[in-house]
Amino acid sequence: MHKKATYLIPYLLWIGLFVIAPMALIVYQSFFNITGHFTLGNYEQYLTNGVYLKMTFNSILYALIITLSTLLISYPTALLLNRLKNKQLWLLLIILPTWINLLLKTYAFIGLFSQNGSVNDFLRFVGLGSHQILFTDASFIFVAAYIEIPFMILPIFNSLAELKPSMINASRDLGANSWQTFRRVILPLTMPGVKAGFQAIFIPSLSLFMITRLIGGNRVITLGTAIEEHFLVTQNWGMGSTIGVILILAMFVVMYLTRDRKVKGGRIR
Amino acid sequence: MADNVIEFKKVNKSFDETRVLNEIDFEIEAGKFYTLLGPSGCGKTTILRLIAGFADVTSGDILFEGQRVNGLPANERQVNTVFQDYALFPHLNVFENVAFGLEIRKLKKNEIKIKVDEALKLVHLSGYGRREIAELSGGQQQRVAIARAIVNEPKVLLLDEPLSALDHKLRKEMQGELRDLQRRLGITFIFVTHDQEEALAMSDQIFVMNAGKILQSGSPVDIYDEPINHFVADFIGESNIIPGKMRQDYIVNFDGQDFECVDAGMKPNEPVEVVIRPEDLDIAPIDTGQVNVTVDTQLFRGVDYQITAHDAMNNEWKINSIHPTKIGQTVALAFDPEDIHIMRYGETEDDFDARLETYD
Amino acid sequence: MKKWRISNLYLALVFIVLYLPIFYLIFYSFNVGDTMDHFSGFSWRHYATLLSDSRMISIVLNTLIIALLSSLIATIVGTMGALGIYSAKKATVKNGLLSLNNVLMVSPDVIIGASFLIFFTFLGFSLGFGSVLLSHIAFSIPIVVLMVLPKINELPKTMVDAAYDLGASSWQTLTKVILPAITPGIFAGYFMAFTYSLDDFAVTFFVTGNGFSTLSVEIYSRARQGVDLEVNALSTLMFIVSLLLVVGYYLLGRYNQNRRLQRVKAAEAKINQ
Repeated sequence: MHKKATYLIPYLLWIGLFVIAPMALIVYQSFFNITGHFTLGNYEQYLTNGVYLKMTFNSILYALIITLSTLLISYPTALLLNRLKNKQLWLLLIILPTWINLLLKTYAFIGLFSQNGSVNDFLRFVGLGSHQILFTDASFIFVAAYIEIPFMILPIFNSLAELKPSMINASRDLGANSWQTFRRVILPLTMPGVKAGFQAIFIPSLSLFMITRLIGGNRVITLGTAIEEHFLVTQNWGMGSTIGVILILAMFVVMYLTRDRKVKGGRIR
Repeated sequence: MADNVIEFKKVNKSFDETRVLNEIDFEIEAGKFYTLLGPSGCGKTTILRLIAGFADVTSGDILFEGQRVNGLPANERQVNTVFQDYALFPHLNVFENVAFGLEIRKLKKNEIKIKVDEALKLVHLSGYGRREIAELSGGQQQRVAIARAIVNEPKVLLLDEPLSALDHKLRKEMQGELRDLQRRLGITFIFVTHDQEEALAMSDQIFVMNAGKILQSGSPVDIYDEPINHFVADFIGESNIIPGKMRQDYIVNFDGQDFECVDAGMKPNEPVEVVIRPEDLDIAPIDTGQVNVTVDTQLFRGVDYQITAHDAMNNEWKINSIHPTKIGQTVALAFDPEDIHIMRYGETEDDFDARLETYD
Repeated sequence: MKKWRISNLYLALVFIVLYLPIFYLIFYSFNVGDTMDHFSGFSWRHYATLLSDSRMISIVLNTLIIALLSSLIATIVGTMGALGIYSAKKATVKNGLLSLNNVLMVSPDVIIGASFLIFFTFLGFSLGFGSVLLSHIAFSIPIVVLMVLPKINELPKTMVDAAYDLGASSWQTLTKVILPAITPGIFAGYFMAFTYSLDDFAVTFFVTGNGFSTLSVEIYSRARQGVDLEVNALSTLMFIVSLLLVVGYYLLGRYNQNRRLQRVKAAEAKINQ
């Protein structure tokens, strides 16, 4: 039984070196300026320089728009998928695109949205004329939502599939019509799925920087883009780490807000 | 006629190609406790779903207080259901669950509170309003499900095997409570179960079902004492079923002897089945009864001994006796003409009733 | 039946939008021309370019080597970790280890990438193959643990007791009883780590330095230059590989478990607990 400790060593090393140390270092680094001196200046600058606050606000706003539009499209989809006969197979088809490399899917839109791309061809065809689509806020939101949709459909679909049919029967039995049943029974009972989807999309929407770079051009700057910019372009790691710490805090806030509020299980009597 | 709350007229129901209900006809009178009794898959739950409006008939009519209700959605029917899995809403607490139907009907807040409290009191759950569903025991959830249904004052309460998830002792307790509740509320209960003991204990009227048909309907005593065929006799209680021949009215031959009985109206020498309940058999010293048997097994069950034995013709006999015997011992079985019940092969309930008319 | 038609139309639209960009990419990979907006004729030209592009081929090989090696090492370390977590006696130790295990599961990729970059620089570790490999091992370990641990927890306690009872040493019990019983979990963990590695862009992008590249990073830098139909040809091949992987996973019964989907599942589990 003494071997236990030995085989834990590599795993504990991993925790120490790749979990604790990097997280500690990003916090540590956020207290250093570009010349390597200890300072609270990064946080001060973040809080007082309007640019950073505005960027954070915009990033959150974009993430909200992306998440909510994804939800709006996904909920009905999940609802309808659940009524289909071979619903597991259809769900597989929803999930399949998530297996295609994210960058390839994003790259496809460079072609689709370009000045002479298919979408503009279509717009000209229906008489709306061509537009600058690439490098706009709308294109960024569209592509991000496109990427995220399966991650919203899946948890909602699962919570709908778990819903016992007797719940719906009971609601009808007690006099509720279809809409009342949806609002008072189906929606509240599938909230865990909605929350899971919200978590799974909102945080990446704050941090995915490749979509902003490739589709949003330099117009859209999210927390993720700002971190990438500070680390890899301007080499201001201190400020990048500060934004990283903000992103980690945002992650905890989202997880806290979408936690399950209902006390389940409760007291045992 | 006006007393019939629910009527089924030649109702058929098929799923895909399988027929689950076959020409169902019955009437349900107001204010009684009905039980649909049968093995699983016999169609009893389908009848309940048709009444509730969760499913639609393939053909035939369902009348509610004389009005045809085929196709009427569940939320517009004046019936409520207690579900087998209770189907309580986990996102609502006890009070909110019970208030659900009343809120849908947009009753006033204080009115809802009065009615909910009253319903909770009826099921002995006063003061439980703020509990979460997950905090309740199975028996308590059961009571909430009943309160949630009866608070809407339905004309008919449908109960789909509501006691099947409870342990034996609690089930016995709830049987008594349900019966009591039905009497106090005076509304019609339609109770579905596969448990014959439960059906006998609670009902005013039992429908015995098998394979999508109603085989026999009647009071528990009628059905127990005069089962119409082999299936019913076997399904309800224990019985000895022996092939025999009707010599003439009031004389039946089985086991190589003629016996006096109380049935009539059959053709001379018609083959029949003879039913004698194990508890109607008395054990007597050898040659002092009607049939001599040799004891094969004996089990003590607390209230009595369950004995199996065979006679000279090698027919199996089940006997419930408060006195023990010995295995291998030969004893006599004593019974009276009233203990013998005769069943004709293939007789329908209507024919059976008509025959009884001729000599009752 | 109008309702039926509208709902099916809606579903059809969702599926079209979901698949259109993918088939659009594949379609233009056969274009004789050089743009993604005008199809001027069928050709294998871009596939020929791709196959003779020695830089691209070495990048594909790099990507595969990183994926195979990192998932192998992550599986070994992760399995040992799962065994360790399982045998932890105190509940606080167990939960503490599990929470630390999940940090890299829930952190955004940019955070993982940036913090690893700081870490490697802090140690003076040069960026390249080594740093990418270590990073991939690091972010793959937690998923291996999450795949293996439930399998160990499922083991009947009496089985281990039986092994000891029959005279096995603790090493023999581990290799002859426990490991064979949890093999499905270990394989699942390995495959998942493999796809994690193949799929990763953000973490690699931060820790790769100048000389070394993986497929995702290469696609990104080419996409930044604009349309290049060699990328389309590559995407067709990758689509086919993904399809084969999905079929494989489907047969294994765990098709919905790539990295992001695993995170969705983790979120679901947290909310539902």
